[in-house]
Amino acid sequence: MTPGGGGMLPPDPMAAPDALQQPMELDLFEGPFDLLLTLVLREEVDLLELPLVEVVTGALGERARERWDTETAGELIVLLAAMAELKARRLVGEPVDEEPDPDALEARERLAARLVAYAPFQRAAGWLADRGRDSAGPRYRRVPVEGAAPPPVPREAPERLREAIRPLMTAPPAPSLSHLTSRRVSLPEALGRLQGALARARSVSFDALTGGAGRLEEAITLMAALELARRGEVTLAQAEPFGDIAIVGRRR
Amino acid sequence: MTELARRIEALLFLSPDPLPLVVLCDLAEEPPGPVQRALAELAERHGPEGGLEVAEVAGGFALRTRGDVAEVVDRLRERPPEDRITPAGLETLAVVAYLEPISRPQISRLRGVAADSTVTSLVERGLLEEAGRLPEGGAMRYRTTRLFQERFNLRGSRDLPPLERFELSGPEADRVRRQLVDAGHLAVDADDDGG
Repeated sequence: MTPGGGGMLPPDPMAAPDALQQPMELDLFEGPFDLLLTLVLREEVDLLELPLVEVVTGALGERARERWDTETAGELIVLLAAMAELKARRLVGEPVDEEPDPDALEARERLAARLVAYAPFQRAAGWLADRGRDSAGPRYRRVPVEGAAPPPVPREAPERLREAIRPLMTAPPAPSLSHLTSRRVSLPEALGRLQGALARARSVSFDALTGGAGRLEEAITLMAALELARRGEVTLAQAEPFGDIAIVGRRR
Repeated sequence: MTELARRIEALLFLSPDPLPLVVLCDLAEEPPGPVQRALAELAERHGPEGGLEVAEVAGGFALRTRGDVAEVVDRLRERPPEDRITPAGLETLAVVAYLEPISRPQISRLRGVAADSTVTSLVERGLLEEAGRLPEGGAMRYRTTRLFQERFNLRGSRDLPPLERFELSGPEADRVRRQLVDAGHLAVDADDDGG
């Protein structure tokens, strides 16, 4: 059983980089990084012969910052540090008896637990790899039959479908326009109003006519007055700038 | 060759997907017994000397080309099928196959590395598909596809060896721990602390 799953398969150049699966090319070893780790732990690769600089360069690379996110890079660094420590111990011989760091021990205990817990899936992946190799050959007809019934709807409780679609079936409430002041004023209306006023009195005060109205109404009323003046129906008189305008109808 | 076997053979030939037994019974208007006998008859007829075989795969029965003629039938294609799956992909498939439906964060936690890009590429290749979210929301969950079952020649989504078969035996797990201890990675008494 190969610990790295189908470790013998060539790496797929299209696959996105996966830190533990990245291929390592050393004199001593060629294959995914995690397989190297496993072999080191199993002592099937002699750590003393393993050039650590090459492993570190290979695993982190020169552009580690671009290749790995912080979490992945951190994990790689922890693993590489563990390898370095391990190699140092081998080189120096038996370590002096010292109090181990409880945090490190806990982390290592977690590492061991994870290795043991994940091992079944690695082995299952190995099984899949074998199975996939054995059944790579058969090919299937993929041509859809013309006029075939649509594929059956996935089994889903009709009540859930109904609940899901219900909000789509009700008309949404009309949007509120209360925050918009859309006041429509029309020039013909203003003309009519002005002519009506002039029918009742010969002279009309612009201020009186537009008293209490907004600026838009004032502008439209002014336009109406100018229009009537253009037609020759009224004369306009303003005693002083910004003063009241007297609109005087012409008697025919 | 029985009349029923002829009909079933024709159905299997034309169907783009493996046909479940119930569907075959439905289409042929025959009870399961005779249909199964007809399938056995067909399987015998399409023996190793032929280019086709009857296979029970992905929840149904399919008439497919035999593996040893893959090279020649692939010449019909513009380019050979992209068939390689990375070790990371295989491990991710194994995790999903046993634990489906499962979300990307759950896969990543189990594998100890980010699984996002691997899941994405497996979805693109049709080996994984979305399996909805929990009613209370959360991450999208994934499951294996019928294509996955066909690719690995599985009769259905549960046609896998029991996961227990792959678990490290007590001695094997102990060996992993002992090696970690020997390597100075574990306290000698760590076993007593439970873990």
